[in-house]
Amino acid sequence: MVELVPSLLRQELERLAADGQRLDGRGQFDGRKVHLEVDCLYNAEGSAKVVWGDTIIYAGVKFEIRTPWPDRPTQGSLMCGAELRPVAHRKYEPGPPSPESIELGRVVDRGIRESGCIDMDELCIVPGEKVWGVMIDIHVLSDGGNIFDAAGLAAIAALRTAVVPAERFDVGEDHTLKVNGTPIMASFKRAGGRFVYDPSEEEELGGDERIHITLGDEGHLHSLQKGLKGVFTPDEFAEILAVAEQKCSELREMVAEKEGN
Amino acid sequence: MGGYGDVKLLREDGKRLDGRAIDEMRPVTIEAGVLPAADGSAMVTHGLNVAVAAVYGPMEAHPRKIQRQDRAVIDVRYNMAPFSTGDRIRPGFNRRSREISKVTAESLESVVLVERYPRSKIRVEIEILAAEAGTRCAGITAASVALADAGIPMRDMIVGVASGKIEDTVVLDLDKAEDNYGQADLPVGILPNTGEIAFLQMDGDLSIEEYNLAMEYNHKAAKEIHEIMVDALKRRYEGGEA
Repeated sequence: MVELVPSLLRQELERLAADGQRLDGRGQFDGRKVHLEVDCLYNAEGSAKVVWGDTIIYAGVKFEIRTPWPDRPTQGSLMCGAELRPVAHRKYEPGPPSPESIELGRVVDRGIRESGCIDMDELCIVPGEKVWGVMIDIHVLSDGGNIFDAAGLAAIAALRTAVVPAERFDVGEDHTLKVNGTPIMASFKRAGGRFVYDPSEEEELGGDERIHITLGDEGHLHSLQKGLKGVFTPDEFAEILAVAEQKCSELREMVAEKEGN
Repeated sequence: MGGYGDVKLLREDGKRLDGRAIDEMRPVTIEAGVLPAADGSAMVTHGLNVAVAAVYGPMEAHPRKIQRQDRAVIDVRYNMAPFSTGDRIRPGFNRRSREISKVTAESLESVVLVERYPRSKIRVEIEILAAEAGTRCAGITAASVALADAGIPMRDMIVGVASGKIEDTVVLDLDKAEDNYGQADLPVGILPNTGEIAFLQMDGDLSIEEYNLAMEYNHKAAKEIHEIMVDALKRRYEGGEA
């Protein structure tokens, strides 16, 4: 069966792309307005709310004490999970985690983990006995497109403002979590034949493959992911990587600003 | 209830630990239309509780076996975010959230004009982002405003409120400590225009007199919250800017 709306949308996106335009009037590499709020949830040890266009995502950080893995007695752990709750869009259904939500959680997880911004040895309480398990939960409340970038931003902002609840667990004094870096994701989607930054809901519906790039403070790559059907050329990648560098530094500054407050 | 022991919940001056009077509610704020992707939505903060509700539909009811030939079915999911409580909750449905979802759906079915939409489904999603006792009530209030925001016809909205008993004293709107160490909790859903009850649960120990007093507090609080609900909807649709 041909899906009517995506194929009409596809034609429209192609028509617009020929004139260098997008459905919502943005340029090819223009992002939507981003609003970031940190420390906004009472029971989470770190929290952030991101409003990115029509996308709204919360991230919350929780800590638990666990026994370390036998082969890594001094290392704590980090886990980042995402839930695409049915609250976020009519297309999401209740049930066990979908492949989409698993991909989202794992791509954000890799960007944070591989940037090395959390030193797992810093999460040790008693070697071989007690270490901190850090859990970042991403809660998508409204999917208006590009949930990857919004989720990545919410996750790192929540992590960077998290306070380790040592007093509650009777293992010392509360202290801020040490986070050495601000990995940021930038996502691109092929819409109308060319890549655009920060795809909207319509561009996601009527477009092709997507590419997610996570960059660290030094501009190094920490996670890459290509999703959905399609191929791209090295030249195309070089072009969007340059855009990603600029977008990531802008968002990194936004996180730094919020931390200062 | 969590038990009644040596925890002091009332101060010497008769006020509660957080300084509230016995019949005083925690502050409530409501905003309608907070989620762009939803057909209707609302965010309710009640004390430190944060509840967000989204409404989708009326839409096709599937699987087909849930369809009703003469009315819409209301599909409610109450869910606590993993980071909403002191210890992280494992994501997913549990027995508590299933029960709350079921009775919330049944209470909303009592006010929504479901016979207007035969064979369809109205999805109501309640997400608790921060929990500090009273989340099911905040969820019902949020769901009502979200349904109204979605333009779904209702006989009335439902206001979620609770009273309870601490140290043999009936009090309005238990907070976390009072819920944990108190003697009774009586969460209800009230139709503010008629005073009818659409949602009722209770646990603990209340005499008939105490029940009557608790209900009196609940009705009083429902009027206050109803004004805030109406105000939120007016702001959404009168102000021009959402």
